[in-house]
Amino acid sequence: MVVRERIAGEKLAVEMCGITLDTPLIPASGTLAREALSEVEGVYGAILPKTTTPTARSGNPPPRIAETPAGMVNSIGLQNPGVEKFLEGLDAFDLGVPVFVSVAGDTVDEFVALCERLAGDIRISAVELNLSCPNVEHGGLTFCAGPASVQEVIGACRAAIDKPLFTKLTNEGVVANALAAEEAGADALTVINTIPALTIDIERQSVLVRGGLSGPAIKPVALRAVYDVSRSVGIPVIASGGVSTGTDVAEFMLAGATAVQVGTASFVREPEEILREFSDYLDRMGTTASELTGAL
Amino acid sequence: MKFHSVKIEAREEIGEYTLLHYRWDGPMEPGQFVMARVAGYPVTFDPFLARPFSFYDHDGETASLLFEVRGRGTALLDDAPDRVEVSVPLGRGFRVNGTDGRVALLGGGIGVAPLKVLSRRLDALGVPHDVFLGFADARYAAVAREFPGAKVATVDGSEGVQGTVLDAAPDLDRYAAVYACGPNPMLAAVKRAAREDMLCQLSVEERMGCGNGSCNGCVVPVRDGGYVRSCIEGPVFDAEALAW
Repeated sequence: MVVRERIAGEKLAVEMCGITLDTPLIPASGTLAREALSEVEGVYGAILPKTTTPTARSGNPPPRIAETPAGMVNSIGLQNPGVEKFLEGLDAFDLGVPVFVSVAGDTVDEFVALCERLAGDIRISAVELNLSCPNVEHGGLTFCAGPASVQEVIGACRAAIDKPLFTKLTNEGVVANALAAEEAGADALTVINTIPALTIDIERQSVLVRGGLSGPAIKPVALRAVYDVSRSVGIPVIASGGVSTGTDVAEFMLAGATAVQVGTASFVREPEEILREFSDYLDRMGTTASELTGAL
Repeated sequence: MKFHSVKIEAREEIGEYTLLHYRWDGPMEPGQFVMARVAGYPVTFDPFLARPFSFYDHDGETASLLFEVRGRGTALLDDAPDRVEVSVPLGRGFRVNGTDGRVALLGGGIGVAPLKVLSRRLDALGVPHDVFLGFADARYAAVAREFPGAKVATVDGSEGVQGTVLDAAPDLDRYAAVYACGPNPMLAAVKRAAREDMLCQLSVEERMGCGNGSCNGCVVPVRDGGYVRSCIEGPVFDAEALAW
């Protein structure tokens, strides 16, 4: 496509953890189906499929999503076919760009087993640890409930895999957790996950969806987290949270991000438009993507 | 998700429903749906998401969507001055090839929507069929005039027989196949009423986030365990595949 040829080029490329991304955009975990890949060819610098777990998960019963102003609340429950079936289908995600794999487990041992399983797979360029799930060994608190927990799981995974290890953090306590993740050997940090949220069905007077808020509504929160974390750690930060326009991408990179994830916005517009807007911004400012990172 | 800005060709009020015609000369299958919204991003921060609508009709040049104003998203579409944004046709529609014998089409409420274009397709294929429609009351049942010969039931008895769509179709057993769209309890009742050896296809109505399989929000429970997405594996399912 003409547009893709025009927006391709070195000005968009960024590098992190020894991996070159043709563009700084990455799909946020759980927001890009195999069936939708054809819509994003040439747009993303890496592909990141939905989180995989050691065994299949059927996910939560509906309703799973509720619309909110400038966003949505979801409670999908990590529906996925389990890591073995995931790997059988991974070739479908080959768009000629690096593939990052998001993993989650119920225990530290499960995280480690997943890292070991992926360690030798040459199709995978990096692993992102999804620490937002409950740690069943610690009373259901999430793995990113505090620095000690973050350090334990990352330290154990670090010993299990040589590939670049990313850690996705929630907003709560993000700076302390980021420092702990870096200390434990994380190569990059994805900041932030969805924000705990609730919607209510006013007619039935019942909870509609208790889950995580995403979309443009959370962008300022994510921007603050990326800004604060970038100033606290020496490893790359991947921004995530409400990115919906090209100037959002620029803002997150100025705040310190090396790469930027697009999630919920891809449900309501084409990621290609976001990349085009970002490219136009770079042209207007006479700069490149890599020069933008932390240039506040 | 890519949206196309399309020109509204005509708008009709049919009882409690709105019928929106827009220019669309691409292919579509009966039972497929589009994601639609009033205007492009970022105008629509609230409501944020597009809405799924089954195709009501398509004559090769003009497509139409039938909907009821239920919330802000549909209210804005109802008021849209001259253009709306729609996706391409999505999902898996009714499988009509290989149907042998007389076919029953059942619609409940706004579930009537995909039956018009399905009926048109069956006519083209020479498949004889009867239409049965159920509504809350006569105001909603006004749309039945678009289905000549349809048998109608209303819950309050203000039009047709009193009861549900199944009360309008007492001898479902004699049909070779049944195609139905409506709320889940109605579809479950149709499934129970259908013979086991009957081809029975049900179009589910679920809230959707993305429409392209990505968000996993629009799932339905399946007999083999777990959930599948109504936007990709559906919205039309073989009744036997569903858990309810």
